[in-house]
Amino acid sequence: MKQYLVIQIARFGDLIQTKRLVKTLLARQDGQVHLCIDTSLSRLAELVYPETIVHPIAAHGTGLSGIQTIQAMLVDNRKTFAALQSVSFDEVYNLNFSPLNFRLAALFEPDTVLGYRWHNGQEIISTWAQMAMRWSRHRRIAVNLVDFWGLYCADAIEPQAVNPTASPKGGGIGVVLAGRETRRSLPPALLATISSAISKGNKNSRLVLLGSGAERKAGEELLKNLPSEVADNTENLAGKTNWDDLLDIVGALDKVLTPDTGTMHLAAHLGTPVNAFFLSSAWCFETGPYGLGHAVYQAITHCLPCLETQPCDYDLECLNGFNRPEFIRFMLTGKPEHAPAGITGYATATDDFGMTYVPFAGKDPEAETRHLFRNFLAQHVGRNGVGSALDHDFAQQLYRDKDWLAANEKKRKLSPVVD
Amino acid sequence: MSSHLKILVVLPLYGGSLPIGRFCAEALKELGHNVEVFEAPDFYASYSALQNLKVTTDRLDYLQNTYLQVVSQAVLAKVETFEPDLVLAMAQAPLSQQALKRLKRDKVPTAMWFVEDYSLFTYWKAYAPFYDIFAIIQKGQFFEELTKIGVDNVIYLPLAAQPDFHKPLKLNSIDRKKYGSEISFMGAGYPNRRVAFHKLVGKDFKIWGNEWDGDHVLKPYLQFDGRRVSSEECVKIFNATRINLNLHSSIQTDRLVTYGDFINPRTFELCGCGAFQLVDRRQLMAEAFEDDELATFESMDDLLAKIDHFLAHPKECKTYAEKGRARVLRDHTYAVRMQSLLDFTAERLEGWPKKRQRKALYSEDFPPELKQDIQKLLEQLKLPEDVSFEDLVWAVRQQHGKLSDLDTSILFLDEWRKLYGKKN
Repeated sequence: MKQYLVIQIARFGDLIQTKRLVKTLLARQDGQVHLCIDTSLSRLAELVYPETIVHPIAAHGTGLSGIQTIQAMLVDNRKTFAALQSVSFDEVYNLNFSPLNFRLAALFEPDTVLGYRWHNGQEIISTWAQMAMRWSRHRRIAVNLVDFWGLYCADAIEPQAVNPTASPKGGGIGVVLAGRETRRSLPPALLATISSAISKGNKNSRLVLLGSGAERKAGEELLKNLPSEVADNTENLAGKTNWDDLLDIVGALDKVLTPDTGTMHLAAHLGTPVNAFFLSSAWCFETGPYGLGHAVYQAITHCLPCLETQPCDYDLECLNGFNRPEFIRFMLTGKPEHAPAGITGYATATDDFGMTYVPFAGKDPEAETRHLFRNFLAQHVGRNGVGSALDHDFAQQLYRDKDWLAANEKKRKLSPVVD
Repeated sequence: MSSHLKILVVLPLYGGSLPIGRFCAEALKELGHNVEVFEAPDFYASYSALQNLKVTTDRLDYLQNTYLQVVSQAVLAKVETFEPDLVLAMAQAPLSQQALKRLKRDKVPTAMWFVEDYSLFTYWKAYAPFYDIFAIIQKGQFFEELTKIGVDNVIYLPLAAQPDFHKPLKLNSIDRKKYGSEISFMGAGYPNRRVAFHKLVGKDFKIWGNEWDGDHVLKPYLQFDGRRVSSEECVKIFNATRINLNLHSSIQTDRLVTYGDFINPRTFELCGCGAFQLVDRRQLMAEAFEDDELATFESMDDLLAKIDHFLAHPKECKTYAEKGRARVLRDHTYAVRMQSLLDFTAERLEGWPKKRQRKALYSEDFPPELKQDIQKLLEQLKLPEDVSFEDLVWAVRQQHGKLSDLDTSILFLDEWRKLYGKKN
């Protein structure tokens, strides 16, 4: 029996976005799949990936005192490390570009590790991960993170098999208050206007405000901005849900209005339709909702996608499209002629490579280049794909001499991995 | 001065100073320092491959220089990561002038141990001014020459022996036969040695080492077809031989015994092995050994007479060997040399070593079982009990292969602290 380990020690959304990879490993039906995650996501991992063996470790910064840190890192983590080491893993998918992941890789034979490995004290990044870093310089044509992780396996399951096609569940409309980065979220007053209109357009269905404890105040502010009849039909659950509650609630909704958040990915996982607002550094081709039946309202300005870590020099120009009065009408009708300038409406779609987004309103100037780029990558990972005249340019951008002069072909031939 | 300095030893690509560099690294570890070694020999095969290209000389020159720049860059990268208190380069270490300038700019203290004859290997004129400390095996004129080009921090640092390596061995009968003889010489075929050893033809004499090609008279005495002899083999030869000849090299043949200044490493190594040697007298020998600690000769006639004498008086050989060994263990080990170098560095470089923020390994409420496990790890890594957390992390990282759960936890904790808060 084979043993697979996926190390995913990033955040909520990242854990859900690991699904194509985890499901691929499970679909092989030849062994056990283990998942190493941060302790805080332990229950979520059990709920989302019940067929896996979960190994929680303390990886996130959690304000521990000195001795608590020692206990967590050198006693508790060590026990888990020993347990992991006792399993002879055939393949270890180490997914996060973080010094913590490199150190974790020290537990395993370097040849078994995909992604970020440790070789005699040297950090090594596999070619596929390096390629992703290179294509992230061309974000407008980038690919979905779920596919990037999933396609570490050449035998990745088809994209439409990852999540169920979304359909309304009858439980009202969820409104996710903010992502981790506030600039990527709509301001509460605007979100109130939009939420209210969508509620009214959906037979006055109830609104459920979702978020962590940190967003509870934002929820209260949003409530104040709602018309009273809508506010009366709204429940602020920010900070009040545990993982079980959140799954129950999101899984029963008709729709989720959200920026790029973990809850958005959870809704996609559960097959609850997502209406996502992507602006600032959020770019749907990278981290948009995965699965069919979702819509993304993507801000398209000359400066996007930007970097959250850098200040905005354009007075948040990417918000303008959402602020236009016609935006709400556009959301309600979905008609291209109602689309405001600066917003492209995308519907989720799949191709052979993975998840993609097809405009139903507005422009997508990079669509053709992106299509060709995806074909290029599809060929790289051994899937179908037709070459194009741009392949030479793509190859120059993505390949380095060392990738082929010193490539480890043996690994590729022995197992279905993309190193 | 801190007893736990971080020192990067840069080995040469190959050559005589390579084993010396390794001994320095070992000695520094013995002294309790955190030592990282730049393994330049790993890069030598690629460098040599360039010479087989059969391309134009300007191309070859360009390729070799470019390659050495890459190796230099690798040293710099190591410095960046390790942040040493001192970079100790051995003679011929692959540090380009550009790299040395960069280290100077970045205020990384550097030292070179130039274990070469300055009059034969004059490349020091290009490199010496870039080093903060320059250690040499000669005195007198060399100091003056260095002063002329602005090199002031110069220390006389004779060669030495490494006691856990250069030691008496109990050889089995096969090795005694293979490596043993009444008289032997281990070293390269310098011109003075070739001429001198013609006079030993007919004796039970073995020659070990390389660069003896083309000498038909000595060919029957040459062992292993004149290949380079490893340091381990040297120790066996020294131990198996009744009289180890030690004739310092010279490119001249008019005077075979030159009464030169520096003492070669073999002198100390033979003593360390408790082996008997007949060595040509050197100018700097008197301050290193007493007359009864080392049997010397001053001419070829003297050598031939003493060979006969000592072959007939093995007890005298034993006495010399014992006294020589005692002296080396006391005064001429690599640990002693490294301590002298570090003391000199501290004396000459203001504010050296720079104080580091070092986190204590154990906090007050450290779990006792965990402490036990960590103490075992310290023993395994040969680290002192009062090692700092940072030095432990580095030592763990230096290990090869898969790491244990404890090793990984320590590395993980270190990175976690860097990410989320240094106070923890």
